[in-house]
Amino acid sequence: MKRTTLVLCGVVFLLIQTLSAVSVHAADMQLEAVLVWGTNEQKSPDPKHKPVGADVKTQLQQLPLKWTNYFEVNRVKFTVPPSGANKVPLSEKCQLDVKTHGEDKIEVVVFGKGKQVATRNQELPKHGTLILGGDSPGTNCWLAIIKRVE
Amino acid sequence: MDYDTQLKVQTYLDGELSPVESREIANLLARDRDAVALLGELRNTRQALVGTEIGVLLPESREFFWSKIERDIKFQEKRDAQSQAVSAFSLGDFFHSWRRLFVPAAALSALALAAIMTLSSGSHVSLVETAVADPGAFTYHDFSTGTTLVWFSYPAEDNDNSSVAK
Repeated sequence: MKRTTLVLCGVVFLLIQTLSAVSVHAADMQLEAVLVWGTNEQKSPDPKHKPVGADVKTQLQQLPLKWTNYFEVNRVKFTVPPSGANKVPLSEKCQLDVKTHGEDKIEVVVFGKGKQVATRNQELPKHGTLILGGDSPGTNCWLAIIKRVE
Repeated sequence: MDYDTQLKVQTYLDGELSPVESREIANLLARDRDAVALLGELRNTRQALVGTEIGVLLPESREFFWSKIERDIKFQEKRDAQSQAVSAFSLGDFFHSWRRLFVPAAALSALALAAIMTLSSGSHVSLVETAVADPGAFTYHDFSTGTTLVWFSYPAEDNDNSSVAK
């Protein structure tokens, strides 16, 4: 009797653990962050940068931005658990701190050289895109494109 | 530098300060590097926006748009006046006046609904807002692609290229 009770408790415990693990995993927010350098120059000052893909360029051209060329500095795919956080380094100087609040709400803090540069809180539904940007010295700009994949 | 001072720097750039305030800001700019940086950034932003101002097109003519607002104000005034005098109304008078107001209001609502449906099925709907919580940023929503652009116009802090990218 005692052994049966122990086995039963073990099975229930394992079941609860499995269910909770599955539910948490299913609710993880899957995101992709792309750091982009915008310029009117034909080439990026860093030869490692490659021009952004056609889809990103089309998306950026539909926005009220004045730059003609955009170069991808780095691209990172990451997940954030529900009501959790993740630090996403995009370059030596740039890092994103991404937090989720509930299923669709997201908080993004952009750090440049360790200093907080920008913060944004908003809903980000599936397949939605949040683009944070600002001027860079000269006539260039930076853009952090955060896409919700799933 | 506090928020009011930042606003004054912006107003100074726009040439809208009084002579006294203008002198105060000029003195501030002579001794405060942050204020100078902010002024430079605001000037750059203004130049960057020249020629790229976002055109938000109304789905109807300007005259019709403002006439809707005028009608709505008149409607509100009438409703307030009626609510004050409602005790003097008989039930029949009340329904009569309600019908007179309801019919044009319903027509206006139907028009508005049709406009919204047309826009939502259209190819490009966007909205520009200035974030109240963050006066240093403006937000642009492109509903057709589900994209939100948030542009931060904080002063650049260093001179050796961007503090973020590169």
